[in-house]
Amino acid sequence: MSSTEQGTSSAAPAEPTTAPESAAAPEVPESFYYVHGKDKVVHKVSAGALQHSALIHGMISNLGYTEEQAKANPFPFENIDGDILQMVVDWCNQHKGKPTPPEDTNLPKQKEKLFDLVLAVNYLEIKELLTYCCKQVAMMVKGKSPEEIREIWMIPTDAEDEAAEKEAKKRAGKEAAGETAAAAGDAK
Amino acid sequence: MLFSSLPYAMPIRILSLPSADLQYTLNCMDICDLIAFSLCSNRTKHLVKSSKRKIEYIDTEFGSHSSIIIKPPTDEFIFFEFDDSWIELARRNGVEVFRKPKFTHRDWVDHFLNIFNESMINELSIEDVDVSYLDTVKETISKCNRLEITNDCSHDVAKIAFSKLSPIAVDTVALQKNIFDNESDISKLLSLNLESAYLDDHRKPFEIKLEDLLVLNITELMIEIANISEQELNRFLKLWMKGNHGFYRPKVIMLFLEDGREINHDKVFEGINHEAFRLNRTDGKELIISTHGNVFILRFDIKYE
Repeated sequence: MSSTEQGTSSAAPAEPTTAPESAAAPEVPESFYYVHGKDKVVHKVSAGALQHSALIHGMISNLGYTEEQAKANPFPFENIDGDILQMVVDWCNQHKGKPTPPEDTNLPKQKEKLFDLVLAVNYLEIKELLTYCCKQVAMMVKGKSPEEIREIWMIPTDAEDEAAEKEAKKRAGKEAAGETAAAAGDAK
Repeated sequence: MLFSSLPYAMPIRILSLPSADLQYTLNCMDICDLIAFSLCSNRTKHLVKSSKRKIEYIDTEFGSHSSIIIKPPTDEFIFFEFDDSWIELARRNGVEVFRKPKFTHRDWVDHFLNIFNESMINELSIEDVDVSYLDTVKETISKCNRLEITNDCSHDVAKIAFSKLSPIAVDTVALQKNIFDNESDISKLLSLNLESAYLDDHRKPFEIKLEDLLVLNITELMIEIANISEQELNRFLKLWMKGNHGFYRPKVIMLFLEDGREINHDKVFEGINHEAFRLNRTDGKELIISTHGNVFILRFDIKYE
């Protein structure tokens, strides 16, 4: 696997570092897992941080990987851009073991990425981050007119929707006709 | 701050979001933004409708301006002035006009009812409008819970508004102008199938006769100021006692008499058996009469704990 490891991430997967804890508390070594996005860049993330993602948490619970196995088999998220996954990993690390405040100031600064972020967060099932992202999407149109909203959220007009629907029907009809012709050819 | 200070972000295709996220985004929007969104296209209108945003009610006012008023569950009232093809909203950043070419008055009202899943306008209030405009009002509102004809109306407007619009009120009529005379008697209102009616005119008291009380088909009636004689009340009570009306719909009749007038109880109850102003019929029905100053109240079959 050609990959660069990032994240809490370091160039090479480092030995788990444990946060200083009170002397009385027993030291439990933290386990780490590895994820990569479309760009194949591997991010090392602690199990605690990954608990935010219901999807990954479920995967971890089911697999029962050892540290070595986890390192050798990073979770692939080919549908998520590398920079988006980096944002998600950063957020998970910042909120490890903490509830998210109602107004989260640890979110990515690029509004341009918001849409992809929502899709990724939805896929990874990170409920708190998704809630905050959706609020940010809603804030984009605060106080805007219908014309401005249409522009910001790229909403097609009724005429455009009708044309797209017609086009989709036409395409579906052609495909159905093609399948029928193919089935008839096979029968011969 | 997290998100940059750009006026707004790069456009995003909101309609491509997974439906749950889109729904959550709509839930995060305030009512005004949601209305603006609903006006973008038919698709956005349906999305807002399916978001099932709760409001308390929608009122309309027709006067020097036509207005739609929305009462959200917590926020203050939201006022929209509207006319064919435009609607105007005063927000923090000034007055905004949303345009919708080819939209009529009726289309605006239907749009609001539709997106908030309301079956009808709560209150239709008529102020001093042009008589000819009442036809537009009738075309705009097909049904309302409560019709209010205010004392801002001229006599003619109030009279025509009552005749044209009272049939569309399903629950209550409130009339702040005494429009009744020989050619248009009050029984036209009192015989309407309503839950309540409030008649309020201090300048011209409403004349009430026995016949009016007999045709009354409204559960709760309040008249301020009512002009009725003790003899008429006495005849009504006698007829009620005889059980001439097996079913009598009214539960409460509240009559405010002219200031300073005191009801002569001896005349009202002359020839009637009563126990502390309680009349009991042989069929078990009860009528309780009370007076508070110049207010004369009849309560029918109301059981008290």
